[in-house]
Parts: sequence; C-alpha cells; structure tokens
Amino acid sequence: MGLVSKFNAWRRKLQEQPGTTIDLEPMQALLPLIEEREAELSELTDDELRAAATALHQRDDPQDFVEACALGREAAKRALDERPYDVQLLGAQVLLAGHVVEMATGEGKTLTAAIAAAGYAAMGPVHVITVNDYLARRDAEWMRPVYELLDLTVGWVNESSTPEERREAYAADITYVSVSEAGFDLLRDSIVTDTADRVHREFGTVIIDEADSILIDEAKVPLVLAGSTIDEKDSPVAIAEIVSGLRRDHDYDVVDDGRTVHLSTAGLAKVEALLEIDLYAADQVDSLTAVNLALHAEALLVRDVDYIIRDEKVELIDEFRGRVAQRRRWPDGLQAAVEAKEKIRSSGGGTVLQTITVQAFLTQYKKICGMTGTALPVGDQLREFYKLEVAVIPPHLPNVRKDWPDRVYASAEERDIAVVNEIVAMHATGRPVLVGTLSVAESEQLAATLAEEGVECVVLNAKNDEKEAGIVAEAGSFNAVTVSTQMTGRGVDIRLGGSDEKDRERVEGLGGLFVIGTARNDSRRIDDQLRGRAGRQGDPGESMFFVSLEDQLIERYGPEPMPMGRADADGAIEDEDVRWAIGSAQRVAETVNLEIHRNTWRYNYLLDQHRQLHAKRREELLVTDAAGELLAERAPDRYNELSEELSEEDVLRIARTIALFHADSAWSEHLADMSELREGIHLRVLGAQDPLDEFHREAIPAFRGLLAEIDNRTVKEFEELEIDGPDWEPADAGLVRPSATWTYVVSDNPFGSEMERFFAGMVKLFRSGKGVKGN
Amino acid sequence: MLSAFASAFRTPDLRNKILFTLLMIALYRVGATLPSPGVSFGNVQKCLDIVESGADNQVFTLLNLFSGGALLQLSVFALGIMPYITASIILQLLTVVIPRLEQLRKEGQSGQAKITQYTRYLTLGLGVLQASAFVALARSGQLFGGACDQTQFPVIPDTGKIPLWLTLTALVITMTAGTGMVMWFGELVTDRGVGNGMSVLIFTSIAARLPNEGITIWQDDKTTFFVVVGLAVVVIAFVVFLEQAQRRIPVQYAKRMIGRRMYGGTSTYIPLKVNQAGVIPVIFASSLLYLPQLATSFAGQDTTNRTILWINRNIVAQDKPAHIILYFMLIIFFTYFYVSITFNPTEVADNMRKYGGFVPGIRPGKPTAEYLDFILSRITLPGALYLGIISILPNLLIGIVGGGQALQNFPFGGTAVLIIVGVGLETVKQIESQLMQRNYEGFLR
Repeated sequence: MGLVSKFNAWRRKLQEQPGTTIDLEPMQALLPLIEEREAELSELTDDELRAAATALHQRDDPQDFVEACALGREAAKRALDERPYDVQLLGAQVLLAGHVVEMATGEGKTLTAAIAAAGYAAMGPVHVITVNDYLARRDAEWMRPVYELLDLTVGWVNESSTPEERREAYAADITYVSVSEAGFDLLRDSIVTDTADRVHREFGTVIIDEADSILIDEAKVPLVLAGSTIDEKDSPVAIAEIVSGLRRDHDYDVVDDGRTVHLSTAGLAKVEALLEIDLYAADQVDSLTAVNLALHAEALLVRDVDYIIRDEKVELIDEFRGRVAQRRRWPDGLQAAVEAKEKIRSSGGGTVLQTITVQAFLTQYKKICGMTGTALPVGDQLREFYKLEVAVIPPHLPNVRKDWPDRVYASAEERDIAVVNEIVAMHATGRPVLVGTLSVAESEQLAATLAEEGVECVVLNAKNDEKEAGIVAEAGSFNAVTVSTQMTGRGVDIRLGGSDEKDRERVEGLGGLFVIGTARNDSRRIDDQLRGRAGRQGDPGESMFFVSLEDQLIERYGPEPMPMGRADADGAIEDEDVRWAIGSAQRVAETVNLEIHRNTWRYNYLLDQHRQLHAKRREELLVTDAAGELLAERAPDRYNELSEELSEEDVLRIARTIALFHADSAWSEHLADMSELREGIHLRVLGAQDPLDEFHREAIPAFRGLLAEIDNRTVKEFEELEIDGPDWEPADAGLVRPSATWTYVVSDNPFGSEMERFFAGMVKLFRSGKGVKGN
Repeated sequence: MLSAFASAFRTPDLRNKILFTLLMIALYRVGATLPSPGVSFGNVQKCLDIVESGADNQVFTLLNLFSGGALLQLSVFALGIMPYITASIILQLLTVVIPRLEQLRKEGQSGQAKITQYTRYLTLGLGVLQASAFVALARSGQLFGGACDQTQFPVIPDTGKIPLWLTLTALVITMTAGTGMVMWFGELVTDRGVGNGMSVLIFTSIAARLPNEGITIWQDDKTTFFVVVGLAVVVIAFVVFLEQAQRRIPVQYAKRMIGRRMYGGTSTYIPLKVNQAGVIPVIFASSLLYLPQLATSFAGQDTTNRTILWINRNIVAQDKPAHIILYFMLIIFFTYFYVSITFNPTEVADNMRKYGGFVPGIRPGKPTAEYLDFILSRITLPGALYLGIISILPNLLIGIVGGGQALQNFPFGGTAVLIIVGVGLETVKQIESQLMQRNYEGFLR
C-alpha cells in the first residue's frame, strides 16, 4: 500500500467512517504468478487438469491461492470458453481469504464464486447461497462443466426437491441452495427421530451471493418450523367481518410507522356489542387475541403490497426484494386472520416446533464469505455481526454511469406526473428505460398510466417472478420500458441491445439504459442496487430518483417539522435543507432497521445458545441409549417389568421415542414462553432495569429447568404409559408447513431513557404552561 | 455478591474489564490529588485545615462531593466529572428542543457520534469557564468562603519569577485539560470497563473521602467511630433493601393465537420501584437550599439585617429544625414531581394498548391509566419518606449529638449513600449479568 492510501486508511479508521477495507496489494502481487501457472496448466489434457486439481485438494495447504485461481481460470477457459478477468481472480482470492467482496453488477460474480468454491472444496462441503431457487439451479448447471474439469461434484436444491434429492445434493462437494431451503433443512434435521432421515452433513464453508441482502436484511428473519394445529374456538371469519366494518382513525388507530394498530374506545365498544361479550373479561383472552389479529390483518397488511393472492393462497411479499417470499408465513394465527379477511380456506396455524434466525443459521458454518455489489455501506454491520471484513474490487472497465441528483416534488401527484413525462420523453428516442417502484400495486398503476400515454411496458413484479429472469435480460433492448419492484432481477445481467446485443450500438448511442426510481427506498443500498442495473461493465447509462415529500419514507422518518422549500409551478423543489432532510430520513430508516436487527440478534443470541444445548441433549437421546439409562435408573421397577415382556432393543426404542417426544414438546413450550417473555420485557425499563439483562435473568433459569423437566416428564410418561407390545408408537404431532416472521416492538425501550423522559416531560410542562398532575 | 466477584475474576474477559476499570479509577485518583502547577500545596493544605475546623461552612458542598475533594485542592482534576455531566444534560435538553438535533439522534451511530462530539466540545467550553471562575475565586480567597486569608496563605502565590497571568493561564489550561482527561476516562470505562463511566467516577469521588473522614472521627473519639460504622452498616443495608423493592403489576399480551401457555402473569409485568425517582430529588432539594446560603454570603459576614440573620440562623444552619423540615418537605415534593414527570400513566397505558397488552381485569386506555396512577401514588409515598429520612439523617445527628464537627462530615447520609449504593448495585448487576452469559457460553465449549 502506498503511503497516501495508508494514510487514508488510517484517517478513515480514526474517523470511524464505514468503509475500512482490506488491502488488495498482496493479492494483486499474485496475479503474475497465476498467469505463469496458467501457461503451464494450459499444456495439460483435461484428465491431467483433473489430476492437478485432485492433487491440490489432497494437499495439506488448500489455501494455495495461486494454484486454486490458475486451475479455476484454466477450467473456466475450457468449459465456458470464457477466461476470467484479473478482477475476478482478485475477487476469488478475497473469498478464499474469508472476506466479503464488493463487485459491481455484471462483473461475473457467479464465476468468481465458483473458483473460490472449488478452492474451498478441499476443506469440506461448500454451500453457495443464492438469492432464490431459480438461481440455485441456474448457477449450479452453468458452473457444472467447470467443476467437472476440477474433479468436483455439484448439486442444487430447490423447494420441490425430495429428501433423497436433497441428501444427494448436500453430499456433493459443492451445493447451490437458497438460504431458506438450507435453513429449513437444518430445522427439519433437528426434529428427526431417525438419524437416517437427515439430509445435511457437516457445515463447512458458505459463499453467499448478494451477501448484504442475506447477511443484513434477512438476518433477523426467523425460520420457523411449525407443527400440529390447535382447534380454533372462535371463527376468524366472523371476527374478520366485524373488523372489516370498522373505520380507521375512528374505530381504530394505526400508529408507530404503521407497525401497530389498536382499537379505540369507540371501536372496542362496537366490537363488544356485536360479539356480545366483554373482551377484557378473564375468560375472553382468546377472543381478544382473535380480534387483535383480525385488526392487524385488516389494517396493517395490504393486498398487493404486503401479500398477493395466487391460486387461492396468500403469498407474502418480501419487503426488501419485492417478490414472493418462498415458504414464508405470518406466525401465531396472523396467517389465518389474513386468510379469513380474504375469505379463502385456512391453511391452518401451528405450534412452533423449532426456530432459528437466518443469522444464527449462517453462524453454523465454519467459514463465511460472500459477494455483493453493495458491501461497503454495511461494512460496520458485517464486522459487528459476523466479524467479516470487506474488500472492494475495482470494476474491469471503469463505471461511466451518470447518477443525477434526486428530483424532489412537493406532492406525490406532481411527482407521478414528472415520472411519466420523463419516461415518455426517454421512450420517444427509443432508449431503454427501467423503472423501479416500491410496491406491486404501484407498478401496476404506473403501467396503466403509461398505457394511457401510449407507452407499451413490461411489468415485472411479484406476480410473475418465474418469468423474471427472461424479462430482466431483455430490459436493455431498444424501445424497452420495464416497470419493476425494487430488487427484482438481482443476479441477472441487463445487456444493452437485448440479451443477444443485436441493437447494442444503437442503444449505446442513445446513452445506454436509463434507470428511474419512483421513490427512495428505506436503505441507500437498495437505491444503489437499482442504479447498478445500468452501467454494467463500462456500458453507458444514467440513473435518476424522483422523491415527493409525501413519500412514506419522508413522512415516517423525516424531521419534525419537515422543511418544505419552495416549489416551482410543476411542484419541483430545489432546496438544500430539503435534500438534507430526505437524506436524513433515509439514514433514520436505516438506523431503525439496524436497531431491529441488533435487538433481534441480542435476544436471539441467548435463545440460540439454548437451541444448541438442547440439540446436544437431543442428539444424545437420539444416537445413544441415554434415555434407556435414564429410565433404568429413575424408574427401575417399570423398566425391569418391561424388560421381561419385551426385548432389550424394544425397550430402548420405546424409551428413546418417549424421551424425544418430550424433548421436542418441552422445547416447543420453551420457545412459546420465551416469545411471551420477550413481548413484554420492554416494560422493565419503567423500573429502571435493563430489558436485556432482565430477559437473561428469567430465560436462563427457565432453560435450566427445561432439561430437568424433559427427564421428569419422560420418567412420568414411561411409568404411566400403557405399552401394548413391541410395535408401540406415540401419537406423533403431524408436521405442517414451516412459517415465519413477526415484528416486535422496534426498540426494546419505547419510552426513552429516564433522562430523556424527564426532559421531554419538562419541555411539555413549560410549553403547555400547565401544572402536572400529582404535585 | 462476593462469589460473583470471585467468579468474575475467573473469567478472563471480565477480569480484564474489571482490572481496566480499576486502573482508570487509580489514574483518576492520582490526577485528583496531583496539585496543578502554580498552586502552593502547603498553603492549600493549611486553608483546608482552617475550613474543616471552621464552624458550619458548607462551601461548594455538592461540587466538592462530586469532585472527591479535588476542587478545594485545586488539583489537575479539580473540576472532575461535573462539566461532562452538565454538558451531557444540556445536550439532552437541546435534543428535545431543537428538531435538527433530534433528527441527528434518530440517525443512529453517525448522528449519535456527532452529538457526542458536540458534548465533548461543550465539556471543554464549560471546563474553561469553570476553571477560570475557580481560579479567580481562589485568588480572591472566596473559594474557602473567605475563611482563609489570602495574604497570609496565598494558594496561588505570585512568585515573581513567572508573570502571574501566565501562571493563571497555565492553571486554567491544566484544569481544562484535566476535565478532558476525566471525560475520556469516563468514556473508556463505559466502552471497555464495567458499569457506566460517569457513575463509576462519581462513585469513586465520593468513596475516596470515606477513609479520610473515618480517620478524622477515629482521632476525635474512638466510641463515636464504632457507633458511626455500625450506623453506616445499618443505613447501607436499609438503602440496599429499599432500592431493590418494587411492586409488580402483571401485564398480559393478547397477540398470539397459538402455542401460548397460560401465564400467571409472573414474567410480564411493570416493575414499580419504591424509590422510582432515585437520587435526583435529593440533589434538587439540596441545590435549592443552597441558594439562601449563597444569597446571604453576598451580604457579608457581619450584617445586622434581621432577616438575613434569621435566615442564617434557621435556614442555612443545618442542625436547626427549620432547615431540616424544609429540606425534608422539598425532597418529598421533588420526589412526587419527578415521578409524575418521568412516569406518565397515560403514556404507559397507551403504549400497552398499542402493542396489545393489558393488566388482567382492567380495561385498556383510561381505566388502565387510572389504575397505574393509583398504584404509583401509593407507592411513591413510602419512597418519598424514605428519601427524606435518609437525607436528613446527618442533620438529625448533628442536632442530637450536638454539633460534633466529626459528625458533620458523616459520610453515610443523603446524597452520598444514595449514589454509592445506587452505582454499586448497578455495577454489580452488570457484572452479574455478563457473568451469567459467559458461564453459559462456557457450557458449550
């Protein structure tokens, strides 16, 4: 590193700016060596190349970057007819060193990951985490010839894979899989009653594509495995109907940035009159819960924004990606409430059998690395949560995309007019335009307006994600107008002039792809992802965001009072204070998300320790005769009695089955208890106590009791159970589909610190000029 | 508690944190006794002796208490942690008033860093201000309430070798730099040590005076010493007990349909402390009572004005019933005042309702707020009485025993004991909870 860059790195560190990166120089120094080795390798036959790869894999020193990169490059050259650029090899080296690499869109991340995956293969199984099932399959098949030349096997998993297929895919050296599939497989493995039913083997290395999205945005999402349904006493349909008759701001209030809703006194009276009960009576907790859930479904979850209805099913939309979230459900009866609201058949609720957050799941791996186009802005978070460092790889060709400053409008209406005018003007020249919108509903509305203006456009949203890759690939064609939700098409390149680049020069002459954002997203990274769709590999391109002061982002997170600036006749605003306020609103939104993540992690960290300890005990019960030994010791009479009737093997099997059943059900209860505890823990602040400490204080003894409780229940059941023969089976809880996500209170301290409360109270006191009650 | 410390020392990570905190405390104490350049150490000691043997001269009691006696010694850390606390309080207040600051705070890490930066600048600014003021007071002799004649024992003597203005400037710079150091120590303790840096340093200052005062009492009368120690143990035990006392109001959340086991309301509750207000009412009351003293001191020593004499005799004098009763009443008032401002039953009820929570058997909204208000008013009364009694304990002793000067410095009354126990409990609790987590991780390895 030169003196100047060293100084800059030092200065950044001193100022604690995000974006301290690792030094690429030692890796750059290896590039000539790789080239030399590549020249030698190119002399070899395919079989000899395989032999060379095998030799590397068997060596004690698998971290030989030169050999790994040279082999990868040679294999890619032969298999794909594509010689990886130096920057791709640099990226592969960063991955091999265990960091997160930032590479712009279109720089060939898939191949980079493949070279690194092959390098890691010697150290155990490698999982490449992709954004969705489609990409898992596509990337695995695409890279298969490369891996075959390196004598490695490759597999992929998607939602419809059978357990056998999964087992086979995970048995391969390298497995391509989405994070939810890999996570759910771990959850299912954790409740098997026969070790042969497991699909995962050990966890080695994970290489994560779109690392920021998975490591940060999705990290807090709990993956949940749910079991048998409890009978619902109150029909959610009847309550949904009553609730749908309520009026917002009159019968109920939506507060806290649209995160929560509650009945007003008038609304409560109305509901109680219709149901003819007192909701707050001691025996009506279930009805109250049902009303709360129905209200949540009615007021906070909007069709075509939060979910869509497809094939008579409610499907959730991922808030960060704008596409259908696979296998995701709302927890704790909310799903059923939404189904009741939409009057479709209930898919059933479920007790939570096992849960793990994406972050806790990923930390199962011995080594984590990943790549994305936007790693630097989350560098600090990656360090905080995963101890990962970021390296920025310069693009192969310099980026010449022009990013215009935001165009700000006073009202949403004026903004929408400006957006349409801009699209129409651009489209008139034949220039391809890609529009990013915030929701499915908005994308459809925009498409309709454009159609009125005579502009044909393709809509890309959660409703047709199977065609997504094809549509995105054509977004750069001459005359194309594509309207999409925010993050669609991650992982698919937009080539100018269409996927075959037949009009490339013509589109280049027009200035390349023009990207429009109809509003700023909750995070700057997501904006940057959208911008990054243009300007691929040195292509020309431009990006422009339109913002209105009525946008949700501004209204929720902007300063109070919001500076308004001065608007011209079209409602356009040019004002420094307004620009600052918009940037600030986005930073506040990012902070809120970070706080949610941090809090989720803090509280889940302990729960994850519980999960691991419990898993260890369960494993003991499953693979050893620990259950039999326990019962022989604690219930010797019954044990001997049964041993006389049945064979030793059968008694042990029965003991194991009972113990496992209770291990699982007690664990499930523990999870429910912990959610309950977590729910109200923020109230402890009122007694000047730290909620997290208090959580630990209660959770730790609860877990200690749990392990003893499992043993006790097992013994009790064993003593009381009628066992009629060697074929005895317990009434097993049937497993239903997995479910997920429930938002908690944003911060664990909604009241503010004692000092803040005091000052806020004093200011209120002086401003109102009135006395305070109580003195 | 001792076993907690023992096992804390067996956990390397935690041991390092504790040792680090102790190191910071040690450095802080060294700076607090290190005389600033230009100050005559000998003369300062003489003046201190005069002040301590003087009648009821309570010069800058609170400030001196918070600086651990460093203030009157004009040491490098004379200003102690006070400018930092003041700056933090001012910034907190401004955040409520100025929208732009409020927005910065909401922006999280980057915004918070900026606010921290402002706090630091303000601390240094206040440091310069206070240092100048105290240096000026010291020169004029007002620092010791005029009890110490500056022509006889000049604390900042003009030696003639160095121009006086240079000495004074150097003194101000030294004290301001000292303030910066103390602030830094505080932040370091918060970041890498145990407990909250500011609280730990205040704790240190107060605790540092104990041995000194113990010796004074010991030299005065051996029996009194044992009585005082015995009394101290009783008072501390009483404070520890009451500081932890709370009333738990059960709360239930009706948000989950499935998998909920009926709870007896044991784990989800609002803890209402008996002493919900902490030490703040005492500080307010004593600050307010300090005003008459300040006012009369302007009138000079030998006034004949009857009102002033009456005030001096009854309000300023700490062993007189008028003073004691006033002090007690003020504490009661401020306790209710503080609790009513920080705990707004309506707001709490609204928050619970927002997230689907309710007190079993009580309807949400207004009835809940009324219920909380009722409980709060009832629990605040013993809390206020307790604060008042602990605070007037030393004054009562002076009255009963009869103005023995050793007892006047009784270190286990009022503010001191409340702060010491409060910070102590908080820090031990933090160590305990870290320990709990560590031990736990130990299971897995």
